[in-house]
Amino acid sequence: MSVLSVNLKHLYQRRSMWLVYLFIGLLALGFVGDLPGSSVGKGHFILLVALEFLIGVYTASMSVEILTKPLSYCLPGHRRVPRKFIFSVGLMTNLVGSLAFLACANLSRWQWVLATCSLFCAGLIMYLIGVGLVFRVRNSGPILGLAFWLLVGVAFLDLHIVAERAIVDHPFVIVLVGLVGSAAVWIWLGDSNWARRFCAISRLGLLDVWDPNKMRQYARKQAASKWDKLKNHPDPWVERFFLGHMNDCDHLGPGRHIWGGLYTTYGVTLSRWKGTLPGCLVALVFVLCLSYLGSEGTNILFLMVGAMVVNMRLPVYSGMAIPGGRNERFFTAIILAGSIVVLVTAVLAVMAVVSVGLAPIMPEITFRGTDLPFHAMSLRLLIVPSLIMPIALALRLMIFRKPLSAIASMSLVVAMMFVFGISSSGRFGTLINPTSLTSLLILGWLALALVLRHICTRRSLVGQGRIY
Amino acid sequence: MNRTNPIVQIQGLSKHFGATEALRDVSLDIHTGSITGLLGANGAGKSTLLRHVIGLYLPHKGRCVTFGCKAGRLGPAQLGRIGYVHQEGELLEWMKVGQLVRYVSTYYPNWNHSLEEKYIADYDISTKSRVGSLSPGQRQKLAILLAIGFEPELLILDEPASTLDPVARGQFLDLLLQIIQNENRTIVISSHILSDVEKVIDHAIIMRAGRILRDCSFDELKEEFCRVRISALSGELPAELPFENVVERQQSNGQAVITVKNSSPEQIEQTAEGLKCQVEIQTLPLEDIYKIVVS
Repeated sequence: MSVLSVNLKHLYQRRSMWLVYLFIGLLALGFVGDLPGSSVGKGHFILLVALEFLIGVYTASMSVEILTKPLSYCLPGHRRVPRKFIFSVGLMTNLVGSLAFLACANLSRWQWVLATCSLFCAGLIMYLIGVGLVFRVRNSGPILGLAFWLLVGVAFLDLHIVAERAIVDHPFVIVLVGLVGSAAVWIWLGDSNWARRFCAISRLGLLDVWDPNKMRQYARKQAASKWDKLKNHPDPWVERFFLGHMNDCDHLGPGRHIWGGLYTTYGVTLSRWKGTLPGCLVALVFVLCLSYLGSEGTNILFLMVGAMVVNMRLPVYSGMAIPGGRNERFFTAIILAGSIVVLVTAVLAVMAVVSVGLAPIMPEITFRGTDLPFHAMSLRLLIVPSLIMPIALALRLMIFRKPLSAIASMSLVVAMMFVFGISSSGRFGTLINPTSLTSLLILGWLALALVLRHICTRRSLVGQGRIY
Repeated sequence: MNRTNPIVQIQGLSKHFGATEALRDVSLDIHTGSITGLLGANGAGKSTLLRHVIGLYLPHKGRCVTFGCKAGRLGPAQLGRIGYVHQEGELLEWMKVGQLVRYVSTYYPNWNHSLEEKYIADYDISTKSRVGSLSPGQRQKLAILLAIGFEPELLILDEPASTLDPVARGQFLDLLLQIIQNENRTIVISSHILSDVEKVIDHAIIMRAGRILRDCSFDELKEEFCRVRISALSGELPAELPFENVVERQQSNGQAVITVKNSSPEQIEQTAEGLKCQVEIQTLPLEDIYKIVVS
């Protein structure tokens, strides 16, 4: 068995990759289903090229993960395997993908041959761009986020149609760029220093986000550089404020632990409140831009709120040695959940008030012949965090260590937010009334309280992937 | 040691994680004033057992009572009397050492600030360092300070010295010996470094695969086994040595080394007289006793 074939085994032995295959497979299936009878000029074939970027990112991430393992540094013949592995996968996937032009209806045989070669090279170029980014940046996760927004931008500006025409009309240029680029990347990846550069460095792979132990180890290793940026935070006045309130409470009561929980949750943020102002301003500008999209825009805001909550952890699962029993953890968690909702609602309220105040003076904009008036944020939306967040927090507590279930819960939260968004837009207006909202509010918080009570009275509080 | 009032009572405790049975029908008492060594291989169930004592785990069967309170009901009144150190214990990474000590000490009205200052000076702990940037050894020292600063009645040490360098380990042992001067202090220490543990414990619990193999005083355990070096006074030793309860044996030429169980020195010397050989009886170190018990 060669070192290369062992590396290729990663493609099917890593179970977390199956999720990636499912995702890419669904995208490809959707595209292939649309293919028969397609013609050049609508930009459909560019999806293959975009997929190759994703495939490049994941393939390179796997290679880099192997390079970070100290064991691989010492393996004979392993230094040159990453580029063989990367090019093997790239050539195979592009070969299969470029045959998509077979389904193209309006190309002659000679045009088809050239277009296939051109698409092959274009896909390879995007694949190698993805590879190059992974090798150059510290962590691969942000690349995917960037890729998503680039795709949105490209589609928005119809650049995909332009790109497709370039592939079909200028095949020799694309092929030349592809060949030269491939040769350059082949030489670049052949540098044996990559093994030295990556050996034993702390790096989070794309597939590691589902592994709480790896996430924790990575967070610990990054702690030194990260916490140094805190300088003198939290400020002494923050410490005095919280410790003072703790001392005012009876040491046997829950009050001391609640204040302690508030300190550990908000201490740094409160101390660095000035540093959050630029971020808040950016968020405000973002919200004002979204306001031109009407209710669809505010739905995106809900997505952000939901995504934030799904990543929050209430301090229930903790082995920290302070004298708080299970009862104290329950009360602290409930109060913290309430405080999070109050804070988020307050932030949204400020944004809503600003958008209402600016509504009379914000100009109407025209984009692609469509007039987009400014829609002030509806103050009715302020109830949404109180409705959604307790349910999202309860889900997060229950499924702390199952990656697939975490995906399912995130999807559920997103779905709930869209339902609320649709409902609030008036299409299902009869659903939204004080009675139903009050009932949902009570049910949501009751669900969170019950889940917390169950965990605090019956479950293990540490181990088995439970982390603070 | 006060044998009338166990500080911890565990009866028929069983705990499983999925298909893995971590503890099986464990019963033991920890008495006030005792220094108990909890010994066992990785995965024997030591940490799982200790986590029941402080209520982080709840038993699936049986019960665990600490300071007269069931594991699931432990509150500040009981937990405020327990100090707990775990090798992978959580600390607040973003705080500075001084801030963390002040935060934790706020929970304990009887926090001993003089002990805190002495410990910080002796262990050379920098209060201005960020907890997240401490080395494993420094984190462990800090964790120990947070556990002993309020002079707990029950001190649970789960692999407390595994990340300490030899000098720090020596200092930690000295500190432990100072702590045990107070007869009302109860200590449970789980450690792989048996040479350190045997210097301080007076009670031993040996575990394997979730069960307790031995639960007895350390003196009893030491008296249970002994090593006998046998030298023939003339000629060779017989192939079969007539000593009773031999658990280990090595024999070559005119000498043999055997480990016997539950045999008194008088019995051994009587047997040796019959064999016309010379014997030297030695007590076993804890490490050797442990290997025999778990094998």
